[in-house]
Amino acid sequence: MTEENVIEIHNLQKTYDKGKIKALNGIDLEIKKGEFISIMGPSGSGKSTLLNMIGALDRAEEGTIKVAGIDLMKTRDLSEFRSQEIGFVFQMHNLIPNLSVLENVEIPMYETRVKSEEMRRRALELLEAVGLKDKADKNPTKLSGGERQRVAIARALVNHPSIILADEPTGALDSKTGDVILNLLKSLHSKKQVTLVMVTHEPYVAEMADRILHVLDGKINNSS
Amino acid sequence: MIKNPFRNRTRATLAIIGIAIGIATIVALGMVTGGLQSSTQSTLKAGSAEITVTKIGNFGSSGGVMDESMVTDLKNTNGVKDTAGILRINSNVSTSSGGSGFGSMGGFLVNGIDSSKLALVGINSVNGTIFTNGSSNEIIIGKTVAQNLNKTVGSKIDIYGTEFEVTGIFESGNFIYDIGVFTSLSTLQNLTNNTGKVSYIQVKVNDNANASQVSKTIQDERPNDLSATTAVDQANRINQSLGMIDTASWAISLLAIVIGGVGVINTMIMSVFERTREIGVLKAVGWKDRRILGMILGESIVLTLVAAVVGIILGIVAVEIIFKFFITSQSFEAVLTMDTLLKAFGVALLVGIVGGLYPAYRASRLAPTEALRYE
Repeated sequence: MTEENVIEIHNLQKTYDKGKIKALNGIDLEIKKGEFISIMGPSGSGKSTLLNMIGALDRAEEGTIKVAGIDLMKTRDLSEFRSQEIGFVFQMHNLIPNLSVLENVEIPMYETRVKSEEMRRRALELLEAVGLKDKADKNPTKLSGGERQRVAIARALVNHPSIILADEPTGALDSKTGDVILNLLKSLHSKKQVTLVMVTHEPYVAEMADRILHVLDGKINNSS
Repeated sequence: MIKNPFRNRTRATLAIIGIAIGIATIVALGMVTGGLQSSTQSTLKAGSAEITVTKIGNFGSSGGVMDESMVTDLKNTNGVKDTAGILRINSNVSTSSGGSGFGSMGGFLVNGIDSSKLALVGINSVNGTIFTNGSSNEIIIGKTVAQNLNKTVGSKIDIYGTEFEVTGIFESGNFIYDIGVFTSLSTLQNLTNNTGKVSYIQVKVNDNANASQVSKTIQDERPNDLSATTAVDQANRINQSLGMIDTASWAISLLAIVIGGVGVINTMIMSVFERTREIGVLKAVGWKDRRILGMILGESIVLTLVAAVVGIILGIVAVEIIFKFFITSQSFEAVLTMDTLLKAFGVALLVGIVGGLYPAYRASRLAPTEALRYE
């Protein structure tokens, strides 16, 4: 792995349903540190599976995958890797409804050795960065869709990950709110110099990236 | 973790009620056995006699009387400090012959004893004054009798057609005595045609003597005549019965654990099921399986500990109500011991762990991608 590449994938294969469905059929991919990548493709093409592989939410059967210097095929407990290197932003914000906005942002830090005052300080700093500091004590159910997604972004960044994985982060939002979220992601990406990999359906969203990957039938078709 | 178990209020409440009823049963039974135990223990209290001597085949019944001279005989036995002869008449038997006061009472004992020997039956203090020996109309009554008959110092009580004046009310701490009355031995002997007779003899041993040994000596010297039992023996016998109640209470505890455990498993599985996505998110942000296991287990324990508190309060209230309205003769009081409390919390904790373990394990083993996809 060269120092520049934060993600290196070779011939990655993943099947579901006892081999009947080939979700990934030999993916080769290199992503440089600090890059903003969009992954496009039709439903069922394997783009979300690819994202899950990078985020170590699932394991591949064959091939190699190294992320942030860690061999994901060989590492047994991947929770620490997820905690330290990856920040997820889902289509559905997936906030925990009975915790406050602040507590939701603090959740990823429970697995680290960060002290509680520092947890609070970091979470508030990020909530300020996404413009929601004044809603820190509110319940997420009281927020709008866009606001919730901003909380989810703050949560994704709180452990200073090297990579943000966003799975259709604007999919559940109207286009205006979606733009706000995209601009926020883009600006945080450049400000924090974090690698951003985003799965999307929409070409105009994908256009914002440095590079667009097209996934079809579990393979990368071409990149532009 | 504290808030999570109560997200679904109805379900949490139902689960808590289920466990709380089990805990309440444990507490109520514990309080009753605790109360019986403490009244048993008080028969062994300092100052009172250690050995009870009766005629063979009879205990405390008016038919089994023996000669009063035995009281002095026994006092000369090696190791004996003091003896007291007591004539005990069951008021139930004799009131039918004409007593007007006790006919309705039932199961109430009239004892005759030398007033200087009251300490031997555990009566160390009397509210009022004690009776004088040989006087024909003075009596002291146990606090239970006083409560049941609504008598105070100065009240009159009719026994075998003779009017007695209550000079004092005593509390011996032994519920058998507290449901009886004491008067002068000679008065009762004359009144019941038992002159020179006693029902049983209380024997107090020397401080350095062994009660069991003295008891054996008394028994061995008059093998066909007397039977001697130490208070320890009696207490042991009562404790054996209490042991059975205790076993029953453990069986109920076990049942509570099983029923409560199933309820907790159900509640927690539903809770995990509903929060599948959330658990997926926690995994995605790097929570270890162990932490998720701990979280669900912790929630389950929070649920059962709340149930323990509710159950303990419920149990105490239930016992208080039963004792206040249904057990009118207050022969003993329910006692809440530390043991009972610890047992209640112990059972709750166990139910929490047993019931939470499987749902917690399932939650910790969820595949993150599937959990996140869960609708």
